[in-house]
Amino acid sequence: MAPAGFLSKKRMEDFLKEIGKDALVHVPVLEGNVVVFRPYGQNQTINLERPANAPPKAVIFPQSDTFFTFRFIKDPQDPKKVSVEINPPSDFPEAIIFGCRPCDAKGFKIYDKVYIEANGPDPYYMGRREKTTIITLACPAPSAGCFCTALGGGPAEKDGSDILMTDVGEGFYLEPVTEKGDKLLKAQGVAQLIEDGAKYGQEATKRQKDTHDSVKKPFESINYRDLSRDLFDDDRFWEEMVSKCISCGACTYLCPTCYCFNITDEKTLEQGERLRSWDSCMFKHFTLEASGHNPRPTKFKRYKNRIGHKFLWYPEKYEEIIACCGCGRCIRYCPVSVDISEIVSNLRKTE
Amino acid sequence: MDQMKNPYLPELATVVKIIDETPNIKSLQVVFNDPEKMKNFRFEPGQVGQLSIFGVGESTFVINSPPTRMDYLQFSVMKAGEVTAAIHELHEGDVIGVRAPLGNWFPYNEMKGKKILFIGGGIGLAPLRTLILYMLDNRADYGDITIIYGSRTPPDLCYKYDLEDWASRKDVELILTVDNEYPGWDKRTGFVPTVLNEVAPSPENTIAITCGPPIMIKFVLQNLAKLNFNDDHIITTLEARMKCGIGICGRCNIGTNYICKDGPVFSLAKLKALRAEI
Amino acid sequence: MSIEALKETIGKVLKDVDVVIAYKEGFDALHSTPHFITSPEQIDKMIWNPLCVHNLTTYLPSMKNKKVGVVVKGCDSRTIIQFIQEGLIERGKVVVIGIPCKGVISVAKVLKAIDHKPIENISFSDNGDITITSEGEKKVLSLNDVSPDKCTTCQYPTPLIYDHLIGEEIKTEKPAESVYGDIREFEKLSLEERLKYWQGEFDRCIRCYACRNACPMCVCQDSCIAETRDPHWISQRLNLTEKFMFHMIHALHLAGRCVECGECERVCPMGIPVNKLKRKINLDMKELFDYEPGVKLDEKPPMFVFNVEEAKIKEHKI
Repeated sequence: MAPAGFLSKKRMEDFLKEIGKDALVHVPVLEGNVVVFRPYGQNQTINLERPANAPPKAVIFPQSDTFFTFRFIKDPQDPKKVSVEINPPSDFPEAIIFGCRPCDAKGFKIYDKVYIEANGPDPYYMGRREKTTIITLACPAPSAGCFCTALGGGPAEKDGSDILMTDVGEGFYLEPVTEKGDKLLKAQGVAQLIEDGAKYGQEATKRQKDTHDSVKKPFESINYRDLSRDLFDDDRFWEEMVSKCISCGACTYLCPTCYCFNITDEKTLEQGERLRSWDSCMFKHFTLEASGHNPRPTKFKRYKNRIGHKFLWYPEKYEEIIACCGCGRCIRYCPVSVDISEIVSNLRKTE
Repeated sequence: MDQMKNPYLPELATVVKIIDETPNIKSLQVVFNDPEKMKNFRFEPGQVGQLSIFGVGESTFVINSPPTRMDYLQFSVMKAGEVTAAIHELHEGDVIGVRAPLGNWFPYNEMKGKKILFIGGGIGLAPLRTLILYMLDNRADYGDITIIYGSRTPPDLCYKYDLEDWASRKDVELILTVDNEYPGWDKRTGFVPTVLNEVAPSPENTIAITCGPPIMIKFVLQNLAKLNFNDDHIITTLEARMKCGIGICGRCNIGTNYICKDGPVFSLAKLKALRAEI
Repeated sequence: MSIEALKETIGKVLKDVDVVIAYKEGFDALHSTPHFITSPEQIDKMIWNPLCVHNLTTYLPSMKNKKVGVVVKGCDSRTIIQFIQEGLIERGKVVVIGIPCKGVISVAKVLKAIDHKPIENISFSDNGDITITSEGEKKVLSLNDVSPDKCTTCQYPTPLIYDHLIGEEIKTEKPAESVYGDIREFEKLSLEERLKYWQGEFDRCIRCYACRNACPMCVCQDSCIAETRDPHWISQRLNLTEKFMFHMIHALHLAGRCVECGECERVCPMGIPVNKLKRKINLDMKELFDYEPGVKLDEKPPMFVFNVEEAKIKEHKI
C-alpha cells in the first residue's frame, strides 16, 4: 500500500475530472437547502461540510433496479401461442463515490454480509459493488443525531472505504485503505495530482480525534445480548416509544443499512421489466397478504421489527454486528423525531 | 452476468394441464421448457416455488406433486390477489416462469417407521398432498397413514381424484368432513378440529402434520395437545407475503427465521421457540 | 400564556379522555416531539414554545376508537374544522386545547441561519428573539426570519375552534393579501420555467411518502395509489414521471381540502417545497368557489357538493 498522500483543495476539481475519465463519479451537491449525491458535472456546488441528506446507497443498491426485461413473442402461425424472452442486464458501470461519510461506507459492509457472503452473491449487488470505489471523507464535525461511536464506528472509521480523506485545511490527507483505493491513487493521471502526505499526518490524526471525541454517546457500547427481550416483547414499551410514528418510509429510505425490497413487474403492451425497488418495513402494505391478513398490522409491530432486525436478528445471524451505523439520519429527518438511539438505550438491560 | 447464478431469474415453463379443483381453486401442471432442466430438476416434499406471470408478478406456492412423480410439477392456486387472479386466466400451453425449489421440506426420513396423521383443511391439503403421495410411493417405509380432511362444502374439497383413490386403498384411512350438512353428502359433518377429537388418534409413535386456514390450525394444535401429542411430533407449514423467496427482502421473517427460506415447514416445538410476533 | 395553565388544563382534560397529545423535548435542543400523555405523571414533561411545530391533529383520524385531547395552534385548528366538515372525526370524541400562537420556527431555516452547526441550547424571549448557543457561541435570531412561510402570513394565530383556550386571543397584523403572495409571484414565471423548477425539485424525491403520511387530510393512507397495483397508476420505476404523477395526485386530492398546515413540506427529508403545489390549487379553489378550507364549521368543501350552477363557472354552451 502506498504511503498517505495529499490533495490540495485547489486541485480537487482536477482530481474529480481525472477519476471521472473511467468511471461515473457521484459527489455530494448542494441543492437549495439540502445535500444530495449527483453524478459529477457542470454547475454544481459540491458540499463536503455536512453529510448528505440521503446516503449514496443507491449507487450500489439502486432505488429501482431492473432484474430483467421481458418480451412476449407471438407465434405468427398460431397467434394464441406466445413465448417469452427474458434478458437480464449484462454489465454494470464503473462508479466512484466521492465524499461520503464513514457511516455511509460502513453501510455497504452491512449489505455485503446479506448480499454477498451469507446467501450466495446477489449478481446485481455484487456487480455494482465490485465496480464501485468509495472515497470517504472523515467527518469534520458530527451532525444532530449522530451516534456512530456508540456503535463501534467513528468519524474516521476506515472499514468500508477504499480511500479515507481527512480535511487538513488547505487540502485533504489521503489514506489508501484497500487495494482498490491504492490502485486508484497510483493511476498515472491521479498520481500527478497527489503530493506527499507525510507532513499532514499529525494534523489529520488530531482532527480525526477531535471529531471522534465530540460525537454524542447515548450509550457506551452495545451488544445484542444487552437488550432486554422482556421489554422487547412488551407491547406497552412500543406503544410508549412510537405512538408518534406516522409510518412513513423516511427512516428506512435514508438509512445506509436498510436493505428490504419489493419485486414488481411493470409492463407496457408487449414488453416490460421485473424490478427490485426499495421497500419499507414501516409501510402497512409491506407484509399485507392477499387474503387481507397482516402479521404486522400496527406501527408498533412494524417499528419493533425494524429495531429487532437491526439490533437483535442481524447480529444474531452475522457475527454480532449491529446493523446500524449511527449516522443519525433517521433521527434528524424523522417527521416526528422518533429517536432510535433513545429507544435502544431504553431497551438495554439495566444492571 | 452469469445467468446460472442469478437467484431472481425464473425458468420458463409451460402449463400442460389445468384442473378446476373447486370453484375458486385451480391446479396447474407445468413442465420446464428446457428438457434438460426438467430431467435434472430435484426437490423435496414440502418445498415451494415462485410462479411468475410476466407483467403481473410472482407468487409463492407449494409444489404439491411428489418428487417421485416427475412428469410435471403441480401447483394449486386459490384466487385471492393480483397474481392468483392472473393465474386463473391461464390456458394450457401458456408460458409462465418458475423459481424453484425454495424453502425447507418435511423431515420425511425421520418419519420412517412411524404412524402418520395428516390433518388438512381446504387448500391446506396442497402441502400435505406432496408428502402423502411420496409416502404412498414408498409405502413400506411408513406405518399407518390416517388423513383427516375437510372443507366448507363438498364442492370445496380439493384433489377429488386423489380422495377417491385414497378412499379405495386399504393402506390409508381417509376421514372426510364438511362444515355442514349438504345434499348428497353421506360422510361426516363438522369442523376439522372437532372431527379430530372424535377420531381421537393415539399419539403413540405418531407424527401429526397439519395445514389449513389459520383458525383451523389454531384449534387443531389445541386438540392435538389435549390428545397428548408432543410438540416435536406436530408439524405445520406457515404462509406469509413473500417476494424474494431466498430470505433477504424482509417480509416473511419471524425473528431471524425467514418463512421462505427456513420454512415453510416448522415443528410446533420450533415455532414455540421462535420469539414470535405472529 | 403560561405553561402552568396549559398543564393544569391538560390535567383536567386527561380525566375524561384516553390520551392527550401535546409536545415534549426532542432529541436535541432544536427539536420538540409529539408527547402522548396517558397518565398525570407524564404531564410535567410537556413543553410549549416555538419548537412545537407539528400539527398534532394528524393523528386523530387513526385514533377513532379513543377519546383524545389534542393541543392545537391557530393553524392546526383549521384541520379540526376540516375534519368535521368532511366527517372524518367525531366532535364528541375530541377535546381541543387551543393555544394562541405567535409563530413557530422552521428547523430548516434555523439550521441554514447557523450554517448547520450543532446546537447546544436555544431560548426564546417575548419580543420574538431566539438565542442560540452553538459551538460555545451565542447568536441571536429573530423569530420572523426563521419562521416557516405559513407563519409570516398567518391569518389565524388564535385557534378557530377549541374547548379550552389557554392564554389571550391574538389578532393577526398580517395583511390577508400576503397569504398567496409567493404563489402569485411564482405564477409570473413561464410555463416552461415552472416545469423546469418542479422537475428539479421532484427529482430529489425518494418516495418515502413522509409528505403523505404527515398530511392530516390524506385519508387514503394505506390504499394510496402510490402503492396499489389495482389501479396500477404509478409504477415502482424511479423516474421523474412517476414522482411527478404521485405529487400531482396528492395535490389534486387536496384541492379545496388542504388546510395549509405545511406539514408535507416540513417533513420532506429532501427539502422539496411540496406545499406550494397545494396552495396554488387552494388559491384557484378560493377564486372559483370563495372557499377557504378549515375556517367555518358550517361549510362543505366545494368538491363535496354538486351545484347545478356555480356562480363563477360559465357553462359551455353545447
